[in-house]
Amino acid sequence: MIGFLFAGLGSCKKNLDQFPADSIELSQAFKSLKDAKTWDAGLYSRFRGITYGSLMFTQDVQADQLNASLDFGNRNGNPHRWGQSFLADDGALTTAWSSYYAVITNINLALASLDQIPTTSTAERQELDRYKGDGFLARAYCYNELMIRFAKAYEPATANTDLGVPLVLVYDINAKPTRATSKQVYDQILKDITDAKTFLATAPGALGSTKFTIHAALALEARVKLQIQDWAGARVAAESVITSGLYPLANTAVDINAMWKTDLNKETITQCFVSKPNELPNTNSIYLGLVAATGKFTPDFIPSQWVVDFYDNTDLRKAAYFEKKTLTIQGVDYPNIWLVNKYPGNPALFTAATTNYANQPKIFRSAELYLISAEAGAREGAGTAVAALGRLNDLRVARGLPALVALTGTPLFQAVKDERFRELAFEGRRLFDLKRWHEGFTRSLPQNSAFIQVGPTYNTLSIAPDNNQFTWGIPSRELTTNTNLSGAQNPGW
Amino acid sequence: MMKITKNSISAIQKTKNLSVFIMACFLFIGFAAKAQNRTITGKVMDEKGQALPAATIEASASIKTLSNENGTFSISVPTNTLKLSVIYVGYESTTIFLSNKTNYNVTLTSKSIASEEAVIIGYGSAKKKADVVGSARTINAKKIQEMPLANALDALQGKVAGLQVYTSTGEPSAVSSVRINGVGSLTAGTTPLYVLDGVPISSGAQVSLNAQDYESVTVLTDASATSIYGARAANGVIYFTSKKGSASRSKITLNTQYATSSLLTNTKDFFNSVMNTKELTNFWVATAYRTQAQVDALLLTYPNDTKWSKVYYKDNAPSKQLDLSISGGGDKTTYYVSGSYFKQEGLTYRSDFKRYTFRSNINTQVNKWLSMGINLVGGYDNRQLNPYGSNSTNRGLGLLAGPMYTSIDPLTGKNYEFIPGWGRYHPNYLADKIRSNSDNVQFTPSGYVQISPIRNLIIKTQLGAEAYDFTTSSVQLPSYLGSLNNGSTNESYTREVNRTVTSTAEYKFSIKSKHNLTLLAGNEYIDDKSKSFNGSSTGQTDDRLTLISNGPNNRNASSSSFAYAFLSYFGRVSYNYNAKYYLDVTGRNDQSSRFGKENRSANFWSVGGMWKAKKEKFFENMDWLSDLTIKGSIGTSGNSSIGNYASLGLVGTNQYDGVTGFGISTPGNPDLSWEQQKLTSYSLNFSLFRKANFSIEHYSKITSNMLLDVPYPYTSGFANVTSNVGSLKNSGINVTIDYDVINKKDAYFAPYVNFNYNKQEVTELFQGRNYWIIPNTGVCWVVGQPVSYFYPIFNQVNPTTGLPEWYNPNSNPDLIVNTQTDKSKVTSTFNSVGLQQNTGIKRYAPWTGGFGFTASFKGFYTQCDVSFVKGKYMINNDRYFYENPNQFPGFNQSRTVLNYWKNPGDVTQFPKYGVQFTQFDTRLIEDASFMRMKNLTIGYNVPQSIMKKTNVITGCKFYITGRNLFTVTKYSGPDPEVDTNVTLGANPNTRQIAIGLDFQF
Repeated sequence: MIGFLFAGLGSCKKNLDQFPADSIELSQAFKSLKDAKTWDAGLYSRFRGITYGSLMFTQDVQADQLNASLDFGNRNGNPHRWGQSFLADDGALTTAWSSYYAVITNINLALASLDQIPTTSTAERQELDRYKGDGFLARAYCYNELMIRFAKAYEPATANTDLGVPLVLVYDINAKPTRATSKQVYDQILKDITDAKTFLATAPGALGSTKFTIHAALALEARVKLQIQDWAGARVAAESVITSGLYPLANTAVDINAMWKTDLNKETITQCFVSKPNELPNTNSIYLGLVAATGKFTPDFIPSQWVVDFYDNTDLRKAAYFEKKTLTIQGVDYPNIWLVNKYPGNPALFTAATTNYANQPKIFRSAELYLISAEAGAREGAGTAVAALGRLNDLRVARGLPALVALTGTPLFQAVKDERFRELAFEGRRLFDLKRWHEGFTRSLPQNSAFIQVGPTYNTLSIAPDNNQFTWGIPSRELTTNTNLSGAQNPGW
Repeated sequence: MMKITKNSISAIQKTKNLSVFIMACFLFIGFAAKAQNRTITGKVMDEKGQALPAATIEASASIKTLSNENGTFSISVPTNTLKLSVIYVGYESTTIFLSNKTNYNVTLTSKSIASEEAVIIGYGSAKKKADVVGSARTINAKKIQEMPLANALDALQGKVAGLQVYTSTGEPSAVSSVRINGVGSLTAGTTPLYVLDGVPISSGAQVSLNAQDYESVTVLTDASATSIYGARAANGVIYFTSKKGSASRSKITLNTQYATSSLLTNTKDFFNSVMNTKELTNFWVATAYRTQAQVDALLLTYPNDTKWSKVYYKDNAPSKQLDLSISGGGDKTTYYVSGSYFKQEGLTYRSDFKRYTFRSNINTQVNKWLSMGINLVGGYDNRQLNPYGSNSTNRGLGLLAGPMYTSIDPLTGKNYEFIPGWGRYHPNYLADKIRSNSDNVQFTPSGYVQISPIRNLIIKTQLGAEAYDFTTSSVQLPSYLGSLNNGSTNESYTREVNRTVTSTAEYKFSIKSKHNLTLLAGNEYIDDKSKSFNGSSTGQTDDRLTLISNGPNNRNASSSSFAYAFLSYFGRVSYNYNAKYYLDVTGRNDQSSRFGKENRSANFWSVGGMWKAKKEKFFENMDWLSDLTIKGSIGTSGNSSIGNYASLGLVGTNQYDGVTGFGISTPGNPDLSWEQQKLTSYSLNFSLFRKANFSIEHYSKITSNMLLDVPYPYTSGFANVTSNVGSLKNSGINVTIDYDVINKKDAYFAPYVNFNYNKQEVTELFQGRNYWIIPNTGVCWVVGQPVSYFYPIFNQVNPTTGLPEWYNPNSNPDLIVNTQTDKSKVTSTFNSVGLQQNTGIKRYAPWTGGFGFTASFKGFYTQCDVSFVKGKYMINNDRYFYENPNQFPGFNQSRTVLNYWKNPGDVTQFPKYGVQFTQFDTRLIEDASFMRMKNLTIGYNVPQSIMKKTNVITGCKFYITGRNLFTVTKYSGPDPEVDTNVTLGANPNTRQIAIGLDFQF
């Protein structure tokens, strides 16, 4: 009997090797071109996870265009109030930092491993190259997003000594990287973009592409070069996409409205694939707060009156970005209040009777490139001012505004800034534009102070140019876990 | 185990005589024909002197008889018969060696030695309590069976020194968190190993099993008792023994109980601390948050004064319990069969528990050398949990609702569906429209076959399983206003099967009648497989048709699974010299699928000794000292309570554009191995005048190679990697005193007290750190100190400026472990990270214990149990919401906020209005020490004399029981018993009063 039992244990022994059913071992994950394709899909899926949602609205809440409603429940209250309520252990900072680095980690591993996958034909080689191109481009995107948040605004004169973010390019979980200089990080970003352009050469641009294309690489290049004040470079990159003619600006009320409400495929160079119920994006749900039972709205954040007024009544964006709704705040109804309606949720993505605020994340769209071209041209000098004004007017006219005439120098730059304000409102750009332009702000003119948080940390908050908190603090957990960062916190945190 | 009155022949001689006996047998067979007969008479009794009818007395296969109902027997045997065997199911068989005498009284010892007498110490047969070297404390299950709760562990709170039991919610299906002798691990599990009749079961199974089926619960704490369980024993072991039938008498027991639950008194105090309409609106006007005109306008629309606790919580929720068991046995077989029904409603909406169980325990002695038994345990339960905890304003923070609003529509007198003003659905409406029902089908069978091929050798194989099917159906009805005509349904299903195969060989023998040895060897294989799947859809349009198939949209399905296995070998040598000096040595080798291949195997051992000093000549004559026993043990055990695949670097999947994608999910750690624990304990046990029993135990647990989620920089791509690092020490004492003040036939009074003091110390961390603050928890591991709260320390509200002040911690971040409360170094600028420092407040309570008594007089009996915890601290996160009018304007607040600074010179609790009233600082760390009356029972056993008049009922008892009747605590939140560092929106424990009526037939 004992012998029988012990004999049986031999078969038990092999059960000591257990593997999960929902994952595969790391060592088995880069075996074939099929694996490479799967990694590529994984990259896009993770990339979708770092668009929209708190990674976008945190900085908009922090900027000057919104007021917190009395029912905002302190959600995102810390960045909104600045100062001592916005600290280096804030969840928003940690989320941004950890999300981008998690994607970078995957890319680093994939880039190092994809080369080991054998290919047997040119077509296969090109396919593999494209996956590498996707990796390089996404990595450049992540580092740029990290830089605009966690490093001071790029100034060519001091970039060699200004602190950037830790530059991690190799998969090594035990690494304790130091902060690279701004210059080093941007050199790497540009190098990644160059590599991406090489590998994505076989990926031609297409309107509304849900994968990276050569035009996506150029769009990112334009964005990055504007950031680092390479005006000519930014303009050239932007122009090469604009002049491809693939992404004409939407110029009717119907199209502009549909672009934001139902994700009409217009002027988008790259947008994330979404579908319900398994591939839903992050949402910008702080602006409406629909109460299904009453059909009224209890939003967390409400646009200030001056922001709505910044749009001319002929501006097609006004009706697309805002809508008058009935508010219920603290049990009291307020009719006809402007709310941000840029992300109302696409009914095709609803998973219930009412909105889930899901819209297709737009990564690069041509309107931004018009603005980049205009700003770069305006700041490059008199020689490019006319072209700059031209691009600005292209956008203005498409949006239902009259063309401006005979603007150069500072007034031209100001007109571009105003247009950026209008065009890219609530797309997570405003705060970092102010930072880049070294401008401060004072919140003012709410629609009605009865339903918003009032006080010097709310509706009258005044922030000087270059306030330390324009540059986010490195998450405090990072400083304690990585001793090489311990003395390298940004000033004021 | 065996005792033959008058003629004491020890087992040792028997072994020696074995060969003689065998020869004699041959002789007997050869000469049988010539033999003459003689008559032997006698009586068979149990340990209490009760007659055992139908015991088998046999001389050979053909010559045997049964004892009659008085236990007496008479058997005619050949004169040359040397011995008689006495066999009785459920008792140790014994042998009478015949001499010239013709009358023998035989006392048999129960195999399932009556609960408090027998202790099962990790495999092998039960031992008498007195012979147990390890530290084990057994509770007679009767003491926990009258409680109106599904979870039997709750009633153990305060019963055993060193056993900490907390029940963190008032949900009827709550499972208690349990620890033995302190918190032995920082991030791996701290739950003891639960074993039911030799088969490990999950901690969650407790609510699915019927506590009425337990005979006893034994808590094993020291290394000598636990090391044999190896890699899962580091947190101690709790052994549940179920009832068995008794051959001597058949018994039918019917227990009935009805109880009602209500809020605890301290919960009510908390609920009453929020303002009424007048107070709140006055506060608004005084602080200029609202003008009087605005308030007047609001009150015109909402002129009420609602107590929202009465909306979010019910009162007097009922529970019922019904239990029927039939037990008995015949010549060789005993049975215990039971069925039960339990139903309890929680105080919150959608909080419910209903359970049906059955059990069939059958044991049989097939023949002289083979016995077997099978326990079939099944259960079905149905649970609903209130989902609106934590910071949900639909209950957890529901009292933030403005008292001017009302939940009742004045036009109809009925509840609103959607409460105007407050802007939330009525909790009853939510429970009605958003339903979630979980079903659990539990099957916990076990069976064994035991053979005894030669005398004193027992080979046993036991197979056991814990299997359950758990399904959850969640439905949002199409009529729900939040998503009208667009319902949703989610069905999930989980099956987990845990199988255990244990084989042991145990051999007992004695040398020269003084050296008693028991050798045990065995192996155990455990595997566990779980799989789940989930399906959902939306778009249902009719409340009557809510299946997944009725929803055309968002159809979705997913599945998951996991598995693990353990393979172990173990052995034990138990030796005693003349029942005076004892020595136990155990060893175990464990392998588990959860660890890296290279570190899969680990060995554990223990050595324990016991000295029955009373048996020394020196003490023998001291009549006042009825017992003196000294025990000591040292040994190792392990903790393997981590994820199933933590050692592996894994790539998980996601999806993009309908294509499966890869991404790294865990980096893995191929070096991962067990968390090790070394446990040393010694104890002194003595009894005075046969009345007062004292037990004092000291222990020291050193946990090393801790399984810790070591924090990594996010730049690595991961937040934590599970690694074996650091060490932790727990040491303390357990004291237990029982005193039989009165112990007479008619009257009994026995008070008890026990307590544990545990000192915890982190002795080593990772990455060479001297401390690590776990972000956003307030909790810090500090080398050289217990797990402590690190938080900004509040000084005062400055009477001159009205600003809050916090102490500046040491400017050197390495030195914030040294508390700095220097009045000259304060700041009014809050910074949750920059101001955090060692508060000196311990995370885990050092003192726990209980006291109480049992008493009886004639037919009346009473039992009272009070448990206490001293030094328990929690961060009361509720107050961040209830005492923060700037942060949460418009919401109701605690009355305490009225005490805010207005003029220079004011000494107040809160700063001037406009400054944040409450920050996450030491003001929120509250002393949650408590003393709670867990149980007060008063009952009456109807005398036998009355019962005899009926032919049917042989016993009847009725009683009234109160659970959590009172709580003494300084804690201001809903419930101090919540076992956590930060509590928010807790669903508090409840108070029950139950009446019970039990019959025996």
